[in-house]
Amino acid sequence: MIELTTPFSEEAISQLKVGDVVSITGYVFCGRDAVLPRICKELEARIWVKRGIDLRGGVIFHTAVSLAGVGPTSSNKLEIESSFETLSKVGVKMHLGKGAIRAETVKALAENNAVFAIIPPVTALLESQTLERECVAWPELGMEAFYRIKVDNYQAIIAAAKGKSIYDHD
Amino acid sequence: MTEIEQKVCDTLIRAGSTFREDQKAAYRRAIEKEPGTISCWVMRQILDNALVAEKNHRPLCDDTGIPHLFLEVGPHCHVTGEIIEQIHTGVRMGLRKLPGRPMAIMGDDNARIDQSGGLDHDSGALKPSPIIIKSVKEDVLRLTVLMLGGGPAIRGLTQRIFHKHSVEVVIDEIVNRAIPAVSQLGCSPCTLAVGIGRSQFEATSLMIEAMAKGNYDVQSDFEKTITDRVNESNVGALGLGGKTSVLATFAKIGPQRASGVRIVALRPCCCFEPRRAEVEL
Repeated sequence: MIELTTPFSEEAISQLKVGDVVSITGYVFCGRDAVLPRICKELEARIWVKRGIDLRGGVIFHTAVSLAGVGPTSSNKLEIESSFETLSKVGVKMHLGKGAIRAETVKALAENNAVFAIIPPVTALLESQTLERECVAWPELGMEAFYRIKVDNYQAIIAAAKGKSIYDHD
Repeated sequence: MTEIEQKVCDTLIRAGSTFREDQKAAYRRAIEKEPGTISCWVMRQILDNALVAEKNHRPLCDDTGIPHLFLEVGPHCHVTGEIIEQIHTGVRMGLRKLPGRPMAIMGDDNARIDQSGGLDHDSGALKPSPIIIKSVKEDVLRLTVLMLGGGPAIRGLTQRIFHKHSVEVVIDEIVNRAIPAVSQLGCSPCTLAVGIGRSQFEATSLMIEAMAKGNYDVQSDFEKTITDRVNESNVGALGLGGKTSVLATFAKIGPQRASGVRIVALRPCCCFEPRRAEVEL
């Protein structure tokens, strides 16, 4: 088990390889279908900086945040997977979700020294490892708003790193 | 709160937060089959999650699901509008207490389709699907609450099969449909729910009955054949490869039409499903 604390350094991410099981502790951002395209739009328009939310070294967990808890949604949904490259370019180091992603996305992650990790949908376990939660943007989206949560020992498996994918079965 | 409302409330919470003993045993058997693998790690996490959820009465998954109700009515039992209303009240209370994910869409027909009306913040605003009522010989009024998640709904399929007077043809087609469905679901290992009937409605009703009554310890040859053949696909837990893509198949085969067609409803239930619990009212 590789222990990682956010924000992640370039060096820590560069050492990860497909199949590594990691433990994540620290602050993690949460967003999915509704909010990730909005973030990308603001980043591309260079107005994101006004929000004062630093994404560098960060994790984006593809989940809703509700009273029911958190749990990964499919990262290969169009609105989610299309956010990987833009977010990685501004310093997001880990995209956390589930499901196979496209070869182009795996390549874009590698070009930006970022990784994709899969987290099992274990909401009850994750709830016991979630210490804080705060809505940081677009509260009108309810459970699909942009959240920042503080986590302790979320376990995940590296599914795409250095241009390789765990779904590339030999 | 009436006795029925309380019972339904408690049953919904149990359905959303608890693995049954046969379900836990199925996971333990699957874990023993491939020690030290990624699949093993995932399935241990799923089983640990179930134990924590049961202990804390918390949701197994953040997609807490849409309540589906299966009501068995014995020969001397009565179902009244008042009882149905109490069942609905119990569901509403259970959703608030679980807590269910607040995902009821507000607004008129169009707003509910394009989601422009926003979400109701009340977990209890989520309406259950229509109740399936079945007469049984046992003299009981028994309700099964099932919580159906969104992922399996995306990958599920209800469609005809031209059977060519062969069970093998039907099994072949179910397997052909199940493998991509399980592979694309993401939240495997699955339990395949299958209903075979004369119309889309009947097949789907039978599929729900299969989910309500299926048992991991009791598998027919028909069910076991489907399970074994889908497991040859090596999809594995979370699609990461492995021997267990499917824990079991729950199939319900109803009356059939005199024709060359069978209507088959197939749902790749996710790693927590069927989330269900039953109660005598």
